Amino acid sequence: MNSPEQARLVQPGQFVMLKCAAGINDNPLLRRPFSVFDVDRTPGAGRPRGLVLLVKEVGAGSRMLAALKPGQEVDVLGPQGRPFDLVPGTQGGVSAACLVAGGVGIAALYLLAQRLVQHGVTPVLFYGGRTAADLVLREYFERLGLETHYTTEDASLGEAGLVTCPLDRFLKSRIRTGVRVYACGPWAMMKAAHDLSVKHRVPCEVSLEARMGCSLGACMGCVVRHLAWRWTSARSGFGTR
Amino acid sequence: MTASGTFAYGVEFAHLMDLDAIGGIVVKGISMKPIKGNPPPRIWETSSGMLNAIGWQNIGAVDFVTAKLPALRKYRTNIVVNIVGFELDDYLEVARFLNDCPGIAALELNISCPNVKKGGFHFNKDPRDAHTVTAKTKKVCTRLPLWVKLSPNVTDISEFARACEEAGADALSVINTLVGMAIDVEKRRPRLNYVTGGLSGPAIKPIALRMVWQACRAVKIPVIGVGGIATTEDALEFLIAGARAVQVGTANFYNPAASQQIALGLADYCRRRKIGDINEITGSLRT
Ligand SMILES: Cc1cc2nc3c(=O)[nH]c(=O)nc-3n(C[C@H](O)[C@H](O)[C@H](O)COP(=O)(O)OP(=O)(O)OC[C@H]3O[C@@H](n4cnc5c(N)ncnc54)[C@H](O)[C@@H]3O)c2cc1C
Ligand SMILES: Cc1cc2nc3c(=O)[nH]c(=O)nc-3n(C[C@H](O)[C@H](O)[C@H](O)COP(=O)(O)O)c2cc1C
Repeated sequence: MNSPEQARLVQPGQFVMLKCAAGINDNPLLRRPFSVFDVDRTPGAGRPRGLVLLVKEVGAGSRMLAALKPGQEVDVLGPQGRPFDLVPGTQGGVSAACLVAGGVGIAALYLLAQRLVQHGVTPVLFYGGRTAADLVLREYFERLGLETHYTTEDASLGEAGLVTCPLDRFLKSRIRTGVRVYACGPWAMMKAAHDLSVKHRVPCEVSLEARMGCSLGACMGCVVRHLAWRWTSARSGFGTR
Repeated sequence: MTASGTFAYGVEFAHLMDLDAIGGIVVKGISMKPIKGNPPPRIWETSSGMLNAIGWQNIGAVDFVTAKLPALRKYRTNIVVNIVGFELDDYLEVARFLNDCPGIAALELNISCPNVKKGGFHFNKDPRDAHTVTAKTKKVCTRLPLWVKLSPNVTDISEFARACEEAGADALSVINTLVGMAIDVEKRRPRLNYVTGGLSGPAIKPIALRMVWQACRAVKIPVIGVGGIATTEDALEFLIAGARAVQVGTANFYNPAASQQIALGLADYCRRRKIGDINEITGSLRT
């Protein structure tokens, strides 16, 4: 998607809100959130000029997006949401990062992987799905030269089982100072990644996903219950983490 | 202006539109103490609309006045505070507190929210209760105009409009959301945790318009049209039906600058039709 302004602004972990229908008041009425997978750059100078999104067709809105032809326009709001904390500097600096992805959660992690590499941090990818076909866009991460751990529930690719098994082994085997876990995917997966991080005493960031109305903190629709027993908006960039 | 609960505390939209271009901002319903709201899922999209059961989540009046109002006051627009409560005393407490806060143009008494158990509900079952809460709030609301926001979930809205006018309301906002429901047929479970929710958006516009028209015929105080307004033409319909102003709600969620576009569109319409004062349109319906 050609969108230089957003391409320039976007930070790892952020998303855009797309109006899927042609007319602003057409159905589906509400915009749909999609993570910014990658930033497209001009060949020579490398200036940001566009957004690369990963769209899984699940309903009316995503189907409309998937049916778009080159040259058609989409109304984009964003970038939205609180970016990942990436942080040489804080907490003694990250020397290794575990990127834990399930399904389309992978879309939130590629910009992050690139940024970490730029900062001299070595990310390791843990990527799980039901079958090999779910593990899309692996080649992007492989091209960055990351260590990768794949898991599928039907053993069609990588290790059989859940992505948290190799993550657990990895965290167990390392000196854990300077390790940070970043997770995006189904709730159960993020919960497991979080629990492992607690167990191994490494910081963990999760990118929560909820049915979203506006992404502006206005409708209060995407709230998630957190430990302080308050509701905070998923990824909207406010409230306590 | 923008409708309560659809524009946060206003400042959240400042980078997306010119807040000075609209007549006012009605902020999210505020109670004296913060309220956590309902467990999710809280929203569900329907044809040309949405259901919500937020449950009055808000930061409380003190935080609003110290953390939000100062930034909001910098804009040259009118700030109206929507107030909510579970009991009569809750309304009085928050009204009394806000009445003394500089920078507020009016209070909007929300006696019509469908998403809180018992909350406000008796006030929209019986016009006499609506009269009581309006009269008592008006008494503590010495400095500020008091608007009352009516529920569409009644048989005859004119009765409620008249009761509130009699009780001293300075204006009426018509309407709040309609109680609705949606079901996930695979799980046979309601789409909203709260089971029912308030329907808003373009889907409710014909009903809102009818109720505004009825309310306008029942009272002399200004009626503010709310419900499904997303375009200039929608706004004009409400004005022609008798509304003195309009509020834009759900449209803000997917078109954050909708209210500004409508304000500009209205000015445009007046210019095009050589109308000197927008009030000339108000109630000009020919039947
Ligand atoms: C911050 C954020 C980032 C996202 N990033 C991506 C991404 O990069 N790529 C991608 O393919 N998807 C992403 N999603 C999910 C995507 O937004 C939804 O799949 C999309 O909104 C569905 O819209 P629809 O009109 O196609 O389906 P709908 O008709 O709205 O729904 C169809 C089905 O999808 C489910 N669904 C709706 N919204 C969500 C949601 N937010 N999360 C999970 N399930 C949902 C519904 O419950 C329903 O079963 C993201 C969601 C969030 C909140
Ligand atoms: C998510 C959401 C939250 C709302 N919160 C409030 C509120 O706090 N107080 C109130 O009086 N009305 C509230 N409303 C009702 C709106 O202000 C408005 O009356 C209603 O949505 C109809 O207008 P619309 O169709 O333009 O949205 C809320 C509506 C929505 C959709």
